[in-house]
Amino acid sequence: MTDSGVTRDIAVEVRNLVKSYKSSFKRQTFQAVDNVSLQIESGEVYGLIGPNGSGKSTTMKAVLGLISPTAGSCRVFGADSTRVDARSEIGFLPENPYFYKHQTSAETLRFYGKLCGIRGKKLTNKVNELLELVSLEHARDRRLGGYSKGMLQRVGLAQALIQEPQLLILDEPTAGVDPIGSREIRDLILKLKSQGVTIFLCSHLLEQVQEVCDRVGIIFEGKMVNEGTLEELTEIRNQHEFIIKNASPALVQDIEDLIANNQQAEVVRSGKPRSSLEKLFIDTANEQKHNKKGNKS
Amino acid sequence: MIIPRKTSFISLPRISVIAGHTFTQLVRMKVFYFLIIFAVLIWALKQFVLGTFTGGDTASEQQLRLLKSTSYFAMNLFSIVMAISATALLIPKDIEDRTLYTILCKPVPRLDYLIGKLLGVLLLIFVSLIFMDLLLSVMLHYNTQSLIASEISLMGAGGNSEVLQERITTLNAHGLTNNIHYATLVIFFKAAVIASVALLISTFSTSTIFTLILTIIILLIGMIQADARELILKASERGETSIISKLSMFIVLVFPDFQLISVDDGVIDGKIVPKLTLLKITIVSFFYVALYTSLSWFTFRKKEF
Repeated sequence: MTDSGVTRDIAVEVRNLVKSYKSSFKRQTFQAVDNVSLQIESGEVYGLIGPNGSGKSTTMKAVLGLISPTAGSCRVFGADSTRVDARSEIGFLPENPYFYKHQTSAETLRFYGKLCGIRGKKLTNKVNELLELVSLEHARDRRLGGYSKGMLQRVGLAQALIQEPQLLILDEPTAGVDPIGSREIRDLILKLKSQGVTIFLCSHLLEQVQEVCDRVGIIFEGKMVNEGTLEELTEIRNQHEFIIKNASPALVQDIEDLIANNQQAEVVRSGKPRSSLEKLFIDTANEQKHNKKGNKS
Repeated sequence: MIIPRKTSFISLPRISVIAGHTFTQLVRMKVFYFLIIFAVLIWALKQFVLGTFTGGDTASEQQLRLLKSTSYFAMNLFSIVMAISATALLIPKDIEDRTLYTILCKPVPRLDYLIGKLLGVLLLIFVSLIFMDLLLSVMLHYNTQSLIASEISLMGAGGNSEVLQERITTLNAHGLTNNIHYATLVIFFKAAVIASVALLISTFSTSTIFTLILTIIILLIGMIQADARELILKASERGETSIISKLSMFIVLVFPDFQLISVDDGVIDGKIVPKLTLLKITIVSFFYVALYTSLSWFTFRKKEF
C-alpha cells in the first residue's frame, strides 16, 4: 500500500534469503547473507546501504539470478529470479561496468538490444535516444577501450535501459562519475521513477541515497539491521528544526530567549544553513559555462 | 500488473547475435593475420621448394604431395590453435571482465550463450579454412596443369599415349579433386570437436592456462587412443586384464577419437575419401560436439558469478 492507499504490485520480493559459501576444502562455511527479507513495490526507489562486504552485492546478484539462494527465495514481478523470464523486465548496471573494448558505444547498445529481441528501426531509434540521454552522441563511434570510467558508467546505464525495463538495478551508479554527471544520473533516476520504473540501488554515497530513495534498507554483516522510509529512519524524534528566511537579528535573539526561558528545551545548534560542496561545484560550473556562452555571443 | 515476458529455452536469433559478436571480437583480435602467413608460406613453397624436385616419375607426385601436406599441416595447426585458445580464452575473459554479468542479466539462457560462443569460434575457423582451401585449390590446379604440360612435352609427340594417359590420370588424382575439400571439411569437424572439449573444460576451470593444458592433453589422448584401443582389445583377447587396461577402456569411451576424424593423410597420398566414411565422420563429429556442449551446459547452468 502507498501513502495514498493505492495497492501496488510487488516488483521485488526477497524472502528469508540465505547465501552461504563453502571454503575450498568445504571445511568452513561463510554466510554472506543471513535471513534477509525485503519488498520493493512497483514504482518505488529502494536503496540498500551497508559497508563493504556486508552482503549488498550478493543480495543483488540473487535478485538478478546470478547466484542461487542457499535458502529462501527471490521473486521479480512474481517470477522466480533464477528463471530467465524474470530478467526480461530487469535492467542492470554493475559496479564499474566493463564491456567489450573492441566495440563502440553504439555497437554495444545494439548488441544488448538484439539480445533483448529488439531489431531494425526500433533498435536504431532506441540506441540514438539512449546515447543522447547519457550525453555520448559525440563518442558513439569510438571504441570503448578509450573511454573514461565515467563514460563507461554512462554506457552501462544506457545498456541497462535498452529494453525499457520495469525494474532497474543499479550497483554504485555514480562510481567514477564527476559531480555534474552524478547529478544527471540522479535526475535520470527521478525521471524514471516518475515514469513508474522501480529502482533498486546500492550506493556508498549516502547523501545521494537520501536524495532519491523512498525507502532504505541497512545491511550489516549479512543481516538487515534497519529498514523503512527515509522519514522514519532519519527523523530525530526529540528535536525540531526551523529554517527561517530573512530573519532579523532581533527576531533570532527573541527566539533564542524564548527557548532559553523554557526549562525543558535547549538550542542544540543554530546558525546559517550551509550549501553542499556538490551544489557549489555545479553552480560554479554552470556559471562558467554561462559566462563562456555570453562571451562568445 | 507487470508480468515478465516468456523467454524461449533456446533461440536461434539470440544465438546468432552472440555468435556474430564472438566472430567480430576474434576478427578484431587480428587472427586473420594467420591467413597472410599461410599465403606467404604457399607462395614461398612454390617459389623456392617445388621447382627443385628432379628426376624420376614420382618427382611430380612428390611436389603435389608436399604442397598438400604443408597446406594441411598449416590448416590443422591454425584450426587446432584457434579452437583451443579462442574457446579457452573467451568465457573466462567474460567472467573476469564482468561482461558476462551484463549478458546473463538480460533474458539470455545460458545454453544460448554457450552455443553462441562456440559457433562464433567455429565460424571464424570455417571462414579461415575456406580461404586456405581456396588458395590450396588454386595452387594445386595451377601446379597440376603445369606438371601435366611438362610431362607431355617431355614425352613428345612420339611417346606412348597409354603411358602418357596413365601419367595424366595419376597426376590428376594427386591434383585438385573433391577429396581436397573433403579433407578440409574433416579438419573443420576435428576443430569443432576440440573447441567443444575446450568449452566444456572452460565451464568448470578456474583459469585459462588450466583449460589450455587440459584440452591439449585430451587432444593428445584422442590422437593415440585408437592405437591404445587396439592394444587393449588384443590384450583382452589373450585374457589379460589389468587396472590399466580397464582405465584405458574408460578413456577410450570418454575421450574423442581424433584418428577417426582425419582423412588428410590419405588425401595427401592421392586416395579417394569414400562418401560413407565422410558421412560417418560427420555423424561422429556432431555426436561429440552435441555431447560436450550438453555437458558444458550442465556444468554452466548453475554456475555462480
